[in-house]
Amino acid sequence: MRNLLPVLTVVAALIVLWYGAAVWLNTPWAYDKAQRAGVELSTTELIKDTWSQKKPKLPAPHQVTREIWKTTVEKKITSKRSLIYHSWVTLSATLLGFALGTVLGIALAVGIVFNRTMDMSVMPWVITSQTIPILAIAPMIIVVLNAVGIQGLLPKAIISMYLSFFPVVVGMVKGLRSPDHMQLDQMRTWHASAAQTFWRLRLPSSMPYLFTSLKIAMAAAIVGAIVGELPTGAVAGLGARLLAGSYYGQTIQIWSALLVAAALAATLVAIIGLIQRIVLNRMGMAQ
Amino acid sequence: MTQFTKWISAAALGAMASMAHAADDLTLQLKWVTQAQFGGYYVALDKGFYEEEGLNVTIKPGGPDIAPTQVLAGGGADVTVEWMPAALAAREKGLPMVNIAQPFKSSGMMLTCRKDAGISSTDDFVGKTLGVWFFGNEFPFLSWMSKLGLSTEGGDDGVTVLKQGFNVDPLLQKQAACVSTMTYNEYWQVIDAGLTPDDLMVFKYEDQGVATLEDGLYVLEDALADPAMEDKLVRFVRASMKGWKYAEANPDEAADIVLENDASGAQTEEYQQRMMREIAKLTAGSNGALVEADYQRTVESLLSGGSDPVITKAPEGAWTHAITDQALN
Amino acid sequence: MSWLIAGALLWALGWYVNVRLASLPKSRLTSLLVPIIFGVTLIIIWESVVRGFEIQQVLLPAPSVIAARFATSTSILWQDWVQTVLKGMMSGYIIGCLAAFATALAVDRFAFLQRGLLPVGNFAAALPIIGMAPILVMWFGFDWQSKAAVVVVMIFFPILVNTVQGLAASDAMQRDLMRTYAAGYWKTLFKLRLPMALPLIFNGLKIATTLALIGAIVAEFFGSPIRGMGFRISTSVGQLALDLVWAEIVVAAITGSLFYGAVALLERKCTFWHPSQRS
Repeated sequence: MRNLLPVLTVVAALIVLWYGAAVWLNTPWAYDKAQRAGVELSTTELIKDTWSQKKPKLPAPHQVTREIWKTTVEKKITSKRSLIYHSWVTLSATLLGFALGTVLGIALAVGIVFNRTMDMSVMPWVITSQTIPILAIAPMIIVVLNAVGIQGLLPKAIISMYLSFFPVVVGMVKGLRSPDHMQLDQMRTWHASAAQTFWRLRLPSSMPYLFTSLKIAMAAAIVGAIVGELPTGAVAGLGARLLAGSYYGQTIQIWSALLVAAALAATLVAIIGLIQRIVLNRMGMAQ
Repeated sequence: MTQFTKWISAAALGAMASMAHAADDLTLQLKWVTQAQFGGYYVALDKGFYEEEGLNVTIKPGGPDIAPTQVLAGGGADVTVEWMPAALAAREKGLPMVNIAQPFKSSGMMLTCRKDAGISSTDDFVGKTLGVWFFGNEFPFLSWMSKLGLSTEGGDDGVTVLKQGFNVDPLLQKQAACVSTMTYNEYWQVIDAGLTPDDLMVFKYEDQGVATLEDGLYVLEDALADPAMEDKLVRFVRASMKGWKYAEANPDEAADIVLENDASGAQTEEYQQRMMREIAKLTAGSNGALVEADYQRTVESLLSGGSDPVITKAPEGAWTHAITDQALN
Repeated sequence: MSWLIAGALLWALGWYVNVRLASLPKSRLTSLLVPIIFGVTLIIIWESVVRGFEIQQVLLPAPSVIAARFATSTSILWQDWVQTVLKGMMSGYIIGCLAAFATALAVDRFAFLQRGLLPVGNFAAALPIIGMAPILVMWFGFDWQSKAAVVVVMIFFPILVNTVQGLAASDAMQRDLMRTYAAGYWKTLFKLRLPMALPLIFNGLKIATTLALIGAIVAEFFGSPIRGMGFRISTSVGQLALDLVWAEIVVAAITGSLFYGAVALLERKCTFWHPSQRS
């Protein structure tokens, strides 16, 4: 709670900056409109106009909040216009993709650290796999999976897994290798087997690295879920709303979907942060 | 279907418990998201025209990341809505697509320009930035530029081409002098944003003589070789055309049906009703059968692309009257 | 069928060779050979699956077809590479790194900022790129500037998080030691905390390399001049020129790997003392 005042201050400062930026970015269009209507705009009229355009370059905070309110609180949860419904669609794909990505990432990391062949052969390709732009091949993956009969949630989760396993692999490999030689020697003096060294030394010391990576992986998983929604017809989910807004030039709709998606991701990341604090405290590795 | 998909699909089907349907299943892949552009099919679905013909039709919406031709190739749909230039180009690439019906008689494509960017005729295009969507819709534009003798590489004696997104912001924000619009969609976004028809100079592809056939129904060649599939397609086309003519006569009701089927919840009533009316102008005059003269005009327009033609030789077997003959008699 | 059997045999052979090579003492040669052999076997499996199952070329082209297309389109690939990688990605990467470092230092110096900015930063970082890209294209225009902006937005958070974490990596005893040497804030920062933070900072930089490339390519999907890797990929999918799509993906993969490798090399030089560099 001692974070409350600083956070509020920063948020307040950001909102002030946001209003200012809205005036700055929406002014050209306001002048354009006024010119075509043949009227002159006073400063107050200009500011009022920039904060209430239908398709602004940067919507004002109150416009976005009103839109979010309209589409979450004022709509039934089951309505297709409800952002809560769309959030759930994205969330389900994200959670499944995140779970799959974490499992895959940890499994690969363990394999890489313990198997020389895998370390030398697989690690470079894991890195290369991330350089393949997922947005380019997501449609192909969906088409191929649909042709095999896998539809609905799983293809989106697979794309989400593809994006989220990489931070976990990188972080865990680093973490599993982080105990220094003194500690490894200590384990050897206690006649510890490889498995015991793993469970009692390597895995615990990799926890800070793991949680940092999990936070990044969660954000990546949400991006993956959103990317996965696009080739499946963009009918449901926050990605679909983003795209629909972008398609019709409804910037307010884009921003409201964007903020809800960010809120979703931030909540999930915060939950991981909470788990991190609890676990690390119990392990005596508090930071 | 290829060996691979047959093999895996059989395994997948066997693993799934499936109910026996009394009606025949058919999947239609749309070219874009759910909107009045595809009103006829949604009307046929909602009003039971497909059911009357004993068909259980699934309509899959398209979108920016979905290439209908690819979905057809992958077996994700039995029939797809596509524009003829894209279908002919796909055919040349090795995908044997065949046109079985042509509900859209006229082209709705046009280039919308701002008068204050100095555009009053096609001579003013030189040195300006023009927006095009790509993803299959660039072929008519490239043919037109070739006909006008304008290079698309930019520079002082050509035009700079911009790959526009899916809205008309480049025009509104003055990043481009002209953007590609459809008469039924993006043009109205420009009007909604505040520009008036007096501020705009529009060039309809029909008037410029570079129009190509747009929304048509396409299947893969081997679907036509299968008599059971052929029969399904005949019934499908018959019901779809019934849906289209109903939509033409009752645009507002059709718009409502489209809205109900819109899973994204992003469409508005006003917008769809206006779109339906404009679409009705494009489907008017067609009973669904492809007119060969129109087909030839499209092929010629595509072949005359100068140094970079859309297709390099006249396609063979790219269309058939076999379905529409049976469906419309 | 024969293609599939050949593919399976070659895969087994490749795996066997790799295991033998890995058990030899680790040298520069074996470190290069093993991943290359692994990659080659992957490509062979791909080719044999595509040919064995007769998958359509418009769905998934065979590697031989892609290689042929690559060879004939080098000029297109080159101009796309310059547009996306040099102009869009590199400028965005540098700006993003500098911005993230500056913010991390500010956050470290002022605890108030740390408590206030990091949660907000978490939130801002969660803005999905698919939504930000069209907005940034709307603001910065169609050319490379919007792509650089997208890259900055994408890599800011990972580098910031890792740098802040890294700056906290020095333990109390070490900081006390600096205090006994009467070292002020800046001396402690440069001589103790920054060097100790390097492993985590490089962790962030490595993750950022792949994100930067993806960001630059994705940004081009939403509006670009008719050049650039993202542009080529998206329009080629529409034209069913899948071999060109995969050729561009190959270029992207090579670029990303080289970039990552360069950063990893720099990491090895700077953090030679960390246990993970010594095993």
